[in-house]
Amino acid sequence: MLLKSFISTFLLTTLILITPAFAKVFNAEEFSLKNGLRVIVIPNNRAPVVTSMIWYKVGAADEPQGLSGMAHYFEHLMFKGTKKLKPGEFSRTVKKLGGNDNAFTGQDFTAYFQTIHVDYLDTVLSMEADRMMNLSVPEEHFKSEKKVVLEERRQRTENDPKGLLGEQLRSALFVNHPYGTPVIGWMDEIEEYEWDDVKTFYDKWYAPNNAVIVISGDVTVKSVRPIVEKHFKKLKPKENISRLRPNVPKAIGNTEMVLEHASIHQPSFQETYIAPSFNQNKDDALALQVLEQILSGGPTTRLYKTLVVEKKNATSVGISFSGTALDYGTITLYGTPKKGLEPEALIKDVHQEIANLRENGVTDKELADAKQQLIDSAVFARDSLSGPAMTIGYGITTGSSLDDIENWPEMIKAITKENVQSVAQKYLDPDAPWLRPAVTGYLYPKKAEAPKEVKEEKE
Amino acid sequence: MKIFIALFIVFFLISAPVSAKDKFLDIQEIESASGIKAWLVEDHSLPIIAVSFSFKNAGSIQNSKEQQGLAQLLSNTMDEGAGDLKSQEFQKALSDNSITLYFNSSRDNFGGKLKTLSRNKDKAFELLKLALNEPRFDAEPVERMRQSNMARIRSSKGDPNWINARIFNDKLYSDHPYAFNSGGTLTTLASLTPEDLKQHHKNWIAQSNLVIGITGDISKTEAVLVLDDVFGNLPKQAKENKIEPVNLINENKNFVFEKDIPQTIITAAMPSLPMDDPDYKALQVMNYIYGGGGFGSKLMEEAREKRGLTYGIYSSLFNPELTNLIKISTSTKNKSVNEMMNIIEAQMAVIKNDKVDKETLKDAQSYITGSLPLSLTSTDKVAGILVSLQLDNRSVTYLDDFINDINAVTRDDIQRVANKVLDPKKMTTIMVGNPENIESKETVSELPNVE
Repeated sequence: MLLKSFISTFLLTTLILITPAFAKVFNAEEFSLKNGLRVIVIPNNRAPVVTSMIWYKVGAADEPQGLSGMAHYFEHLMFKGTKKLKPGEFSRTVKKLGGNDNAFTGQDFTAYFQTIHVDYLDTVLSMEADRMMNLSVPEEHFKSEKKVVLEERRQRTENDPKGLLGEQLRSALFVNHPYGTPVIGWMDEIEEYEWDDVKTFYDKWYAPNNAVIVISGDVTVKSVRPIVEKHFKKLKPKENISRLRPNVPKAIGNTEMVLEHASIHQPSFQETYIAPSFNQNKDDALALQVLEQILSGGPTTRLYKTLVVEKKNATSVGISFSGTALDYGTITLYGTPKKGLEPEALIKDVHQEIANLRENGVTDKELADAKQQLIDSAVFARDSLSGPAMTIGYGITTGSSLDDIENWPEMIKAITKENVQSVAQKYLDPDAPWLRPAVTGYLYPKKAEAPKEVKEEKE
Repeated sequence: MKIFIALFIVFFLISAPVSAKDKFLDIQEIESASGIKAWLVEDHSLPIIAVSFSFKNAGSIQNSKEQQGLAQLLSNTMDEGAGDLKSQEFQKALSDNSITLYFNSSRDNFGGKLKTLSRNKDKAFELLKLALNEPRFDAEPVERMRQSNMARIRSSKGDPNWINARIFNDKLYSDHPYAFNSGGTLTTLASLTPEDLKQHHKNWIAQSNLVIGITGDISKTEAVLVLDDVFGNLPKQAKENKIEPVNLINENKNFVFEKDIPQTIITAAMPSLPMDDPDYKALQVMNYIYGGGGFGSKLMEEAREKRGLTYGIYSSLFNPELTNLIKISTSTKNKSVNEMMNIIEAQMAVIKNDKVDKETLKDAQSYITGSLPLSLTSTDKVAGILVSLQLDNRSVTYLDDFINDINAVTRDDIQRVANKVLDPKKMTTIMVGNPENIESKETVSELPNVE
């Protein structure tokens, strides 16, 4: 079973992030402060612990031109001290209280979290309130942290030709839109940040009215509210926080990228289409989730069953829909052909399967099975402390309402065969693409040099 | 997988109770009518049941050089058809009932996990029983999994971390079975047959080497019945085959695999103490302070926070069945490799020469003892912990005793254990990349146990 889900890290990350939001299973409650800070509480009393997250509605896609990676770099700086705390003291404090903390940045959000004994929720929220307004980073840390981010980029991307190609594919897909720029930023631009850039970014985006606190664990609204009020009530909201995002213009012409590289020993392909996000078109995004499950929800579903088990043209194949975004979502087809087969041949087979679905739709049984699996996954999603907070924070910062998230299974139940066939026709037809044609990437081993000469010698 | 499991155990062991007042986990030791034992934690807060199990010494350790990858291929094929159900029928029965069932193989052990909604538990136990007792090993799924494994190896061949791990095993463990590639080689995978799979299954999947952890929405009465039903038909006795401990070699050597990438991947390891050593708790605290703790550890402070040399640097205790190591892993741009190695050594000297200050020790102890509940937050995590504890021969009260043992560690203990274990002269280092200014090195050009 393990190998069936063996796909590129890029896709895995996407898959984790699209874990759907689950309905009425979380039973989350919420309240807001007068300064606009929104607080969502997910009670779960299995252990005396909490995951406390603060999500800011600012991400890589909100960076000014020329400062790619600023949102992520800024996330690093948030651990580098305030007027009260020394650099590193935030995390050291969490640790000595037996907790863990970290943060992450996406295109649409920046999130900070701690998992800790419920008794220390007060301490961590006090420190979060402090760094929302009072960040103060010594110059030497500002400089050394740039080096850290450059090393992070080397580790994640520069060392890996697959990572580099993945970046270029997105860059080609999202013309005129910041989703085409990698969250970590381009090497050259990371090196050029100035303190003023950072200060401007912080002053613009970090405010109670641009943040959502999500707390999951051994708490209730009643227990959380006084703590949040104590630390955040005094913070002043900021004006003029708005996110201006351009559109991807209509385009024609197929884009193919081919990378031959000495580090590649196994050919593969990846093909990405722009699709609507939940925020852009909720109904279609839900139908795309069901479509994804029917085509690629395990070893007995269409793509794997037909191409890996029966036709034996591939060792792995699948489709992944990523719809949790403020702007556009994506659909990615991917596959690893069997030894000796070119990825171009496999991609034709995959297209054939999609064409079949576009023309003939899906069966009642396929639809029912897929929906049941998705709905059951909502129950398993509760079996976690941080998972529900992740799902809710991710949804809220990309335009979903708490009701959307809580009612997700009900909405999945409502999807019909016609909905599934219709989204396949709308978003997965190479002859009539939505917005623009897909971008296709091929990875190849470096061709062996001069095999002819070897032959001649033998003769 | 081995490394994953071991790291998990290490992580777990540096996490322990907040207070000794209540038991951390209400572990029940249960035994079936036929004598099969398990640890159980009941939790009826969600309609979910998880079963984790492991067959000791049934992993890749039992595979010869010619059969590398056999245990892993077994783990990939045991859920590919059993009894009358062929591969697709078996997998469909799992997905139709939202049951997660998979097997995994580590260097030492062979195990698996079952997770189900309560409403489908009968089906789940039935499928687990079938997979354990009557796997089919039909030609089609065996071939499919073989091809999938070979594609995985080809995909990994360019990955510097994977390359580093291949060389690490080869250089540290020499001709011991630990040196082999538990994921198989392109040659050995091509030669494995359904007959080999049946043999490994017959020899090693038995009651005598089995440990089980059950958690979630299930009562003791029911769990006891499940034990006999699911595991009761397995052979009583696994094959006997004692394997000698590893004789670590290549101390004080530095191996470089040259690869045209901007950042060098570095792994280093030294001999360490076994888990039952009286100084092991002190070693755990020492490791946390040296490099195990991430932010705040000496290595992270010096290499990342002060100098910006890396995104991360960690030390970890690695205690598989037949050897004991302390490992250090990091990555840095090629130009900085020498500086990084100097930091790793210099921080060893610091913790050996100077007693850690009181606050550092106290902070380490309070993290280690305070963070245990963080690992008890999902049904299958708890089931996994129950199995890990049994594999390490712990008692059910282990977690409750742990806090006292960690809090008893003194500054002198830290210094003593640091001097016992940390020694650059005993360190084997593996680098993948184009490290600059490295004086003494041996170049590795062929990847061992891959082709």
